[in-house]
Amino acid sequence: MAKILIPTPLRQYADKQDSVVISGSTVGEVLGTLTSQYADLKKHLYTDDGRLRSFVNVYVNDEDIRYMSKSETPVKDGDTVSIVPSIAGGLL
Amino acid sequence: MIQVSPTAWSAMLAHAESHYPNECCGILVGSLDGDRRRVAEAIPMRNAYQGAQEDRFEMDPDELRAADEAARAKGLEFLGTFHSHPDCDAYFSKTDLANCVPWVPHIVMSVKSGKFDHANAFQPNLDQTEAAKEELSY
Repeated sequence: MAKILIPTPLRQYADKQDSVVISGSTVGEVLGTLTSQYADLKKHLYTDDGRLRSFVNVYVNDEDIRYMSKSETPVKDGDTVSIVPSIAGGLL
Repeated sequence: MIQVSPTAWSAMLAHAESHYPNECCGILVGSLDGDRRRVAEAIPMRNAYQGAQEDRFEMDPDELRAADEAARAKGLEFLGTFHSHPDCDAYFSKTDLANCVPWVPHIVMSVKSGKFDHANAFQPNLDQTEAAKEELSY
């Protein structure tokens, strides 16, 4: 079972919980289960064609999954999965 | 509505003016009271954009994660972000719209000739196609 930390702006879509414990062997599996349990979360994390939105970064413990195996990154019992927004901008 | 405490606003001003002529950035934490976002603290972040920072900013995801964890530990919620526009007005640009997470509103601070000029807050829609101005008090 892995603990998924829910970003504060999204807790309203997860029964106001700050974390949810979910079983699964990859990031894709645990996030899939999360968004099945809390359907309103899905559109905030995924595009209509099922890709993680561009502003969503996911960590397993301290590792950014973009530099691991992305959605196939393994998740073990006791791991913490963090959903971290991407924030950038500019004048133009 | 975003209501920024005097302490948080002072930190935002100092960060924005000290980074001039570059863009600064940071996050806002506090409590949510219905539709009212009460910002207790502004947490300055490093501009991690790799390139000219006069017209771009980017938050380091690792630093952002650490700031969010520290806020959680204090019972504070991530309520929004702030960044500066040096020598430009406080509008929400196409680059802002394309790159700012739409889960929270964003405060843009205009800094002209090194001094704060004005600020506006914007809430993007989920598909990042438009941003509505949001009421801001400080």
